[in-house]
Amino acid sequence: MKMKLKFTLLFLFGILFISNAQDKNKIAKEFFWGANDAYKNITTIPEKYKNESAVEIIKYENYDYHKFGKSITYTTSFRKRIKLLDQASVTDYSEFSYGKNATVGIKIIKPDGKEIEIDIKKEAVEQDNQIKIAVSNLEIGDIIDYYSQVSDMFTSTYEYGFDPVEKTLGSTYPIMNYKLEFQTENDFFVNFNTYNGAPKLKEIPIKKGNERKYELEAKDIEKNDFPRWFLPLVELPCYKFQVFFARSGKFEERAEAFLPESEKIVKSVVSKKDVFDFYNSKFKPSGDINVIETFLKGKSFKTTEEKVKEVYYFTRHQFYTRYVEAFVIDEAKIMYPFDLYGYNPIFFTKEQQFINYFMQFLRKSKIDFDIIVTTGRENGPIKDILIESNSRILLKIYTENPIYFGFFTPYSSPDIFMSEIEFTDAYALKVENNKKVDDIVEIKLPGTTYKDNVTKVTTNLKLSPDFNDIIINKTSSLYGHNKEFEQEAKVLFYDYVNEDYEKYGTTPVLDLVSNKKKKEQYKKEFDALIKKIKVTKNERFKSEAENEYGVKLDKHELIMKNTGRFGKNDPLSFEENFTITNSLIKKAGPNYILEIGKFITSQVDIEEKEAARTNNIYSVFPRTYEYTIVLDVPQGYTISGLEKLNTTIENETGSFKTTAEIKNNKLTIVSTKCYYHYFEPNANWKKMIAFLDAAYQFSQEKILLKKN
Amino acid sequence: MLCLTTSIIAQKNIDPTEADIKTAKTIREKHNKSDVAILKSIENVSFSSSKNHNTVEVLYKINETLMNINHRADIQKYEFYDSESEIKTFNLKYRNNKATNFRVNDEFYKSNDLFYNDARVKYIELDFPVQGYTYEYEMEKRIKDIKYFTSIYFNDEFPVIEKEITIEVPNWLELEIKEFNFGQNDIKKTITDKDGIKTYKYSIKNIEPSAKEGNLPGPSYLYPHILCIAKSFTEKGEKKILFNSTADLYSWYKSLIDSMNNDPAALQTKVKELTASTKNDEEKIKNIYYWVQDNIRYIAFEDGIAGFKPDDAQNVFQKRYGDCKGMANLTKQMLKLAGFDARVTWIGTNHIAYDYSIPSLSVDNHMICTLFKDGKKYFLDGTEKYNSFGEYAERIQGKEVLIEDGAKFIVDKVPVIDSKANTDKIVINYKIENDNLVGTINKEFSGESRASFLYNYNNVKNDKKEDALKWFIASNDKNYAISNIKTSDINNRDKTLELSYDVNLANQVSSFDNEIYIDIDYDKEYQHLNLKERKKDFMLSYKTFDDITVNLEIPEGYKVSKLPTNLDVKTTDYDFSLKYEVKGNKIIYKKQFNFKKGIIKASGLEEWKKNHESLLKNYAEQIVLTK
Repeated sequence: MKMKLKFTLLFLFGILFISNAQDKNKIAKEFFWGANDAYKNITTIPEKYKNESAVEIIKYENYDYHKFGKSITYTTSFRKRIKLLDQASVTDYSEFSYGKNATVGIKIIKPDGKEIEIDIKKEAVEQDNQIKIAVSNLEIGDIIDYYSQVSDMFTSTYEYGFDPVEKTLGSTYPIMNYKLEFQTENDFFVNFNTYNGAPKLKEIPIKKGNERKYELEAKDIEKNDFPRWFLPLVELPCYKFQVFFARSGKFEERAEAFLPESEKIVKSVVSKKDVFDFYNSKFKPSGDINVIETFLKGKSFKTTEEKVKEVYYFTRHQFYTRYVEAFVIDEAKIMYPFDLYGYNPIFFTKEQQFINYFMQFLRKSKIDFDIIVTTGRENGPIKDILIESNSRILLKIYTENPIYFGFFTPYSSPDIFMSEIEFTDAYALKVENNKKVDDIVEIKLPGTTYKDNVTKVTTNLKLSPDFNDIIINKTSSLYGHNKEFEQEAKVLFYDYVNEDYEKYGTTPVLDLVSNKKKKEQYKKEFDALIKKIKVTKNERFKSEAENEYGVKLDKHELIMKNTGRFGKNDPLSFEENFTITNSLIKKAGPNYILEIGKFITSQVDIEEKEAARTNNIYSVFPRTYEYTIVLDVPQGYTISGLEKLNTTIENETGSFKTTAEIKNNKLTIVSTKCYYHYFEPNANWKKMIAFLDAAYQFSQEKILLKKN
Repeated sequence: MLCLTTSIIAQKNIDPTEADIKTAKTIREKHNKSDVAILKSIENVSFSSSKNHNTVEVLYKINETLMNINHRADIQKYEFYDSESEIKTFNLKYRNNKATNFRVNDEFYKSNDLFYNDARVKYIELDFPVQGYTYEYEMEKRIKDIKYFTSIYFNDEFPVIEKEITIEVPNWLELEIKEFNFGQNDIKKTITDKDGIKTYKYSIKNIEPSAKEGNLPGPSYLYPHILCIAKSFTEKGEKKILFNSTADLYSWYKSLIDSMNNDPAALQTKVKELTASTKNDEEKIKNIYYWVQDNIRYIAFEDGIAGFKPDDAQNVFQKRYGDCKGMANLTKQMLKLAGFDARVTWIGTNHIAYDYSIPSLSVDNHMICTLFKDGKKYFLDGTEKYNSFGEYAERIQGKEVLIEDGAKFIVDKVPVIDSKANTDKIVINYKIENDNLVGTINKEFSGESRASFLYNYNNVKNDKKEDALKWFIASNDKNYAISNIKTSDINNRDKTLELSYDVNLANQVSSFDNEIYIDIDYDKEYQHLNLKERKKDFMLSYKTFDDITVNLEIPEGYKVSKLPTNLDVKTTDYDFSLKYEVKGNKIIYKKQFNFKKGIIKASGLEEWKKNHESLLKNYAEQIVLTK
């Protein structure tokens, strides 16, 4: 007994002494390059890699979790041994920089076998919190072997979730040998699995009863070199893991993770039952819905669906957009506004809060619902879910037409949910009496089609009498998921905040300031900020238009017409006015050539290398782009070249159709491009290229304006 | 919360008055691209003897009133310093003179070009919440050695409405003040002599903010400023020379060279290897010079004296990295071992407007090696990768060099080379097949265009080199299909580099009824050189000379009904011409661009605008063939 205690004390002190950098270095060096280093004599690379920029002989990662009293020590170790085959890789590895708390070792192995270890202490320089090293004597043909070890020690009395790790095995360069190791002990719960053909994790027997060690080894891994429209974790060999620390059962319950039953088991699968067990205690109706009841007073709705949607929009404002101005004011250091909301303002920041509050409303309104648990397509199917933070939660509400919606964004609607989870396999948690989760069933989520996600752009063109200028008026309307990117880019916070203030009669936050003089001052400063933001945004829209058409513009005006925040079919619409000078129109004797195709703006161009793609295609979501171009035909001129503007390409993956006609002195061209699916197997790639190429070719077409 | 209350009380008197707002609006009308203006700036420079009496210390003070002329502004106010200087005061006050509580940050200044240096920066991030808001800025900096106090620029990143600079030169200090670029500015100078101090006062009004355009010449060419040259000082009756003449500048530089510990023995084996089995001296020299270019990476440590004293040759050799000084010294030592007369040489690149008639540290920024051979001088610059022996990079052409010559020194000049040395010669042969232009392209690169091609190509990853070449040629344009790419030896930096390939170019030819319209010019050089809004000189990377010939075979059954108009432009700085002619069954399109000075001067910008418009108009014209 006495011996043991002494040993523990010594050990504890030992840890304290190890904060001495020199000892840290010795230990690290022995750990990576010592007697157990199986890779220290490997200097040759396979013939097939001779034309690469560099080859990783070994890529090694180690994660170590230990506890001492109230502290947790988390050590990450990393090592690479790389043969450098060209100037580019030598330049990349000539300079290292890392944080002050890392222990680093670097050595060079010359082609003749000579090993040169870099004297880190002598060669490193420090700049604020960074250490930098310029590596001496590095040449093409050398091998560079380096390691880095970082130890974090912190106190955690109850529970702590380490950040999950989800990585493909591959790297920038091909890897000959890959090894992942990790060590844990009691109270550390591990979820770990490998996918898409990656080798499985093995448990390595070790002497200490309360400790566990695991290992993953792989050989001959191709470099990561994938094209656009691809989800690497879905197809490439990869691993995912998460470690969670929980001192006892009570804290295990609170963990935001799908914990294994015991720390002695590595959890590699999260079953339907696990999902049920995790969520059935998390969701229960809670919250004071008086504010909703006040909102609903005196209002009547034709259907329950309409009522639920209106409540959604109202709560999106009440618990979210109502606070946006305050955040902006605080960040600009105008004043601290949050006290103006009184004691304990409710602002939803988490999914669970949102679900539980809605459950309260639905229960009181006697409307049936399910809670849906699923995961984004980029993570693989729900049966493979391992990391709890990858889950996505929706409510399915049994109104006349069932509606699905999730947590708010400033633009979200209750009749459409995240495209990443459309059509996925999911679990529906059944709720007994709308009060308690009591069952779980497998379902498939619905989704949108190319008819829901639509962009309609009408570009009206007028040519100046001298044919130097093209005067453009462009109106865009976006529906469904097509709205989302542009809403983030073009709708500014004051557009939607003011819209909601008006709709719900909310007092803007600065009006809540009681002191008249201060209120005036804050308002002045806030107005100045908004004016500045408007100027900056207009400059940005101008340069975006310039990039779109590849020309410089003198002026550009964008008028926001509708923010599109009330339903998937409520369009985001805006109008642009600008003039293109001395570009896109060319003189040819007495005639002119107009690059009319450029007005459907730039199209995806798949050139040679991409056409040879071997990966499956993960498009974002099915969608349609409809471009209408209307050109006022200049007096005294006729138009030639319409045949090339009337084409149709259609197949099972998508289509590009275009028609052109002249009527009432206007040339009207309507071009429509459709992507039918969000996924295509590689076998269909050539079919996709067919309609993509047709659209690209159209963008290159010209018409002749022939003088009569 | 307590802070909040205090700042609310202080709110009175820190807001702009009606007059302030009016001032802001007026200034903004004139300077509509600036958010902040400096209403008044007062600078004061004074001198004192250093503690060890070996040099003179400088105390530099500045007080500024900053005003927001836009709706709102968020800026950084900063000041640099290093191991030779110290910032004693750095603060910001409200207009009522009460201190602000913005945090003062003090960090290493991380430069993209230098791996490590001792420059640091003190800065404040501040916001001006409304138009007309003002702050008072105060800064005091002590420079420990007067030789590092070189210039005072009158301009700032913000427009300056009124500025006053006083320099108080005590009679024990001999200081010369040289004035530059005063020409178009409203500058008044007064000199008063009182109580043993000669005070120079410069008063300036309405200084334009620094240009934010790219491709600018260095600031010493553009902005009004003064150079302070400390020639000598007298201490206890004894006159101590500082930089009285170029000889003194050289003397200090030489002392740094002499304090090195070069060990040439470490280089012996490599030099032997590089000079064995060579046919002549030129080959020996090239082998050494090119070895330094190819094997020493540019990594610069410029902390303290390392900014001026080269690293020992054996260090640079062993580390396989160094800066310009390290490479110049290594080149010298290796050439000497091979039996040649090689010297280190100081030089100011074309970024600097001065020459060695001024003894100041601001005159140079670079070091090269001079080889004396057969009565000629050759300048070798290890930082110019793929530079051919006997050719000189644009940035050193025409610049004075200071060459070591024992106790003496030699001032000479790097010759200026004609733009034709950098010729890009292109010959294209097309015919029309199915509305595509099909044919072969032959390109030749010389001088700087060859060197930059070789540098970029050799630094691309091995497995991406073919892609890189295609990207270089066609920027991944789907219309431009390339095959059968051939190059001459890409490791030879002396010979003209040749590149040839077959091409199939789509969407340049359009057929309508009986006519074919051809856009024969795919590359349209300089079409994007739109300098409409530019105010200052535009510097090209080097003097370019493009010589392009396109031969287009006229398809059978067609004749040429319209050719674009010829264009011939000649100016002092550049010439260009575009000529079309029909010869037999071919259309020959010849283009030449000669930027013979490598610059479009500000005075020539109006003319460039007109010429550029003519160029664009010409590019927009089509060739028309009729059946």
